[in-house]
Amino acid sequence: MDLSSLGAGFDLARQMPALLPYLVLAGGGLLVMLVDAFVKSRRKDHLYMLTLLVLLAVVVTQFTGGGVREQDLLGGMLASEAYTRFFTLLFAAIALLTATFATAAFDRDGDFRAEFYPLLLFATLGMMILSAATDLLPLYLGLETMSFAVYVMVAGVRGSARSAEAGFKYLILGAFASAFLLFGMALLYGQVGSTGFAEIGESVAAGSVDVLMLSLAAGLMLVGFGFKVAMVPFHMWTPDVYHGAPAYMTGFMATGVKAAGFAVLARFVWLLLPLLADVWFPLLAVLAVLTMTLGNLVALSQTSIKRMLAWSSIAHAGYLLLAVLAILHTARGEGLATRMEAVVTAAGGGLLFYLTGYAVMNLGAFGIVNYLGRGRLDEADSISGYAGLSGRQPIAAAAMAVFMFSLAGIPPTVGFIGKFYIFDAVVKAGLIPLAVWGVVNSLLSVYYYLRVVVVMYMRPAGEDAYDGRSWESTFAAGVLALIVLFLGTFPGVLHRLAAATFHMLAF
Amino acid sequence: MSFITDHILSWVTFLPLAGACGIFLAVRRPNAARIAALVVALADFVLSLHLYFHFDVAMAGDQFVERVAWIAGGRISYHLALDGISLFLVLLTTFLGPLVILSTWSAVRDRVTEFMGFLLLLQTAMIGTFLARDMLLFYFFWEAMLVPMYFLIGIWGGERRIYATVKFFIYTMVGSVFMLVGILYCYFQAGSMDLAEFMTLDLARGPQTLLFAAFALAFAIKVPLFPFHTWLPDAHVEAPTAGSVILAGILLKMGTYGLLRFAIPLFPAGAAVLGPWIAALAVIGIIYGALVAMVQPDVKKLVAYSSVSHLGFVVLGLFSLTTAGVVGGIYQMLAHGLTTGALFLLVGMIYERRHTRQIAEFGGLAHVMPIYAAVFMFVTLGSIGLPSLCGFTGEFMILLGSFTSVLLPHAKLLTVLAATGVVLGAIYMLWMYQRVFFGRLAHEQNRGLADMNLREIVVLVPILVMIVLLGVRPAPLVDRMQPAVEKLLEPLAREMVADAEASPAVLSVAAVPEVLPVPPEGE
Repeated sequence: MDLSSLGAGFDLARQMPALLPYLVLAGGGLLVMLVDAFVKSRRKDHLYMLTLLVLLAVVVTQFTGGGVREQDLLGGMLASEAYTRFFTLLFAAIALLTATFATAAFDRDGDFRAEFYPLLLFATLGMMILSAATDLLPLYLGLETMSFAVYVMVAGVRGSARSAEAGFKYLILGAFASAFLLFGMALLYGQVGSTGFAEIGESVAAGSVDVLMLSLAAGLMLVGFGFKVAMVPFHMWTPDVYHGAPAYMTGFMATGVKAAGFAVLARFVWLLLPLLADVWFPLLAVLAVLTMTLGNLVALSQTSIKRMLAWSSIAHAGYLLLAVLAILHTARGEGLATRMEAVVTAAGGGLLFYLTGYAVMNLGAFGIVNYLGRGRLDEADSISGYAGLSGRQPIAAAAMAVFMFSLAGIPPTVGFIGKFYIFDAVVKAGLIPLAVWGVVNSLLSVYYYLRVVVVMYMRPAGEDAYDGRSWESTFAAGVLALIVLFLGTFPGVLHRLAAATFHMLAF
Repeated sequence: MSFITDHILSWVTFLPLAGACGIFLAVRRPNAARIAALVVALADFVLSLHLYFHFDVAMAGDQFVERVAWIAGGRISYHLALDGISLFLVLLTTFLGPLVILSTWSAVRDRVTEFMGFLLLLQTAMIGTFLARDMLLFYFFWEAMLVPMYFLIGIWGGERRIYATVKFFIYTMVGSVFMLVGILYCYFQAGSMDLAEFMTLDLARGPQTLLFAAFALAFAIKVPLFPFHTWLPDAHVEAPTAGSVILAGILLKMGTYGLLRFAIPLFPAGAAVLGPWIAALAVIGIIYGALVAMVQPDVKKLVAYSSVSHLGFVVLGLFSLTTAGVVGGIYQMLAHGLTTGALFLLVGMIYERRHTRQIAEFGGLAHVMPIYAAVFMFVTLGSIGLPSLCGFTGEFMILLGSFTSVLLPHAKLLTVLAATGVVLGAIYMLWMYQRVFFGRLAHEQNRGLADMNLREIVVLVPILVMIVLLGVRPAPLVDRMQPAVEKLLEPLAREMVADAEASPAVLSVAAVPEVLPVPPEGE
């Protein structure tokens, strides 16, 4: 849009229902801060409750905004559509679980970090804006809102050098990535003369932009997105940051931040498709293969479970990129329009489904890691410490085994079905070698996921065996494990929703 | 009752799963778990008998069909069905189920509830694999089978159990994932995951060969076909007795069943190209397995390698692509399930008493354990294919089929080589028997060994009865298998005819074998 007309030409009152979730989150975050400042209490359970209420209110707004779907909010800044609703619900669920796990950890340590709750809400707000942005400005705003909150949350474990190092590392590298993104945006704006996605899309479709400059801009922006989703070669921060951050935060980053990154990446790829497919496809294909392979190979040799899950999350980013590649490839070919629609819907649906499934299983795994920790400076990080867990904590061990099998992609779990949908789309797009490489990779991953199960079930407990006492976390992990199995057996409803959502975005 | 009989296949498949859930959730005391598991397994066996008695012998195709839309608007469905091939494999599974549970009564003392739960879970997955007629459903059961077996070996196994179980899991996965890509490719082509839709695919020879290779790899590892067999001895030696019995009795048959049900009929042109190579590997496996079995100092390992040899026969029979050979192959699958299952049970019994399986540690056992020795002899004879016992019928039909095969190049040479495996089989089994049971009682520790108790006899008698029945009355089985086999081989025959018509050099159908590629020893 034209920057000078910002704020003019739209009816705020009519758009209010669609803007409500953003206002609820922002207002809720401020409210939590105020309550913490004015209500003196040693225990901070009320902050947790308030956070849950805010998140539930966000969920409610998604079902009451009737009649305002499919419109451009704030003069084309944000979209309100099935796609944003899908991600808003996903982010709210992720934040809700993260708050639960974090509270369990605070309870255990007797160290309540009141600032965590508003930060979590602000990060969620940033993620929502990111997934809904239809203009470069809110895209950047959303990214930074999310990132700043996450930087602080990562570094927020007082007295832990590792946490401080992780936060600092993430901040510095994140700033670099943001700079690349911003530079790319500037180039794009220079070419098109507008920051609105609609105008950019029109210019691209009309071919009125310089392909070289556009490629350069897109490449720079890819660095920014690639950083957030932990794509090779922009993944270097991942193991250290995931390792240094408290486990509940790692889970949040691996699922929420990654999902937000993919939400904007998919939208962006779709926007610039017609012109850039030829440039992006080979590039992204190489990067996806590297991401999968490197992630899995390095994960094989980890002895720390958080580092292992960090590298595995890189590998999973690779699988998700395969879905993006299927979209790109289909758009590139001259196939029938109906076929293209089918493949793009399948790939986009697979992407959204996988992001959801990955959030469930990965949050579950990090939830267990979180809850077995002995203290904020002594987390349940060493894989060998899980020895004999099945004897001490049968439910937690069984849930963890379900998450591991799911991450490895063994039926009947959501991890298998998610991979099935993605590989199905990849095969439909005619990229059989990539599908083969994908399954070879998931084979590699079986080994290191199995190792956790081996340790939990087949090795006797050692001196440093972890144990935990938190019925909320056990309950949450148990429920997540059941969801993993349920979605693995009856994926139909969620997948239809995911496919329909992406279909509405793309066509 | 009609509620059960209308969905009989689902009941047979999922009753053990329900039992497993019940045991995991509600049962704490070991004996209660044992009894509950036994009751569930027996009930499942009774249900499965319904299948046998209500099976329509005249019908070649699928019976007791259940089909409900599952995913993707019905393009993927919950589709179970039964034909003459699946029937007996399901019966074998439900037949061995209660016997295995009974056999572990005293052998497993640790974490009994979990053990019983995993056994029942495994049973659901195995039965489902034999019944699934939708490729995704099949893949579900196929992979789900790995998980309980992985725990059975890994928790209750021997010293190197973790190495063995991880090796077992990864080896099987290696094959499966390529099959998954193959399934996805066919799904894309057919627009449905239904096996019947896959059958109607008309693929070119090139893709067919690749797809056949992807499927065959998955199944060959499971069989296991030489040279993919190396996981088997490890898994067998480390597995608890119950695990070994199920592994040898049923799990290995998944491989040969998969070849027969999916790989050969779906990709006949691929089977024609690669089949001769697989048959050659099977013959190598027959001889190699027998030779290696001969020198094993450990009885269990010997039986494990004998499986490689026996399953080689099955594969040879399948790739003879004659009705006799294939029926013989299925027959041999059942016979091997009975005899090798019984052998592992017997080895488990002596291991429970002596905590060793080394042949050198025994000798003269016939003096102290006469019943045990007699039963062992009986099973040994069944295993090496004494006429009138079950092993003979299958082996004979296989050799007959492969000798007369027109589609298999060098069929006669392969058959002669395979037949030496029969002789070698007799040698290693009888030689082992002689060293363990005959002669003086060489070790003092063996003097006090108790003979089989009533429970152990109860476990083995049903198997002995079946070994005899299958030996003297093959007709009820063959009559039910044959139509199904002929139906499965039909696409292959069509393919051959089409080939003959397409190739101007070959004018008559009778000359078809001439256009088949020649395996390496012919060059």
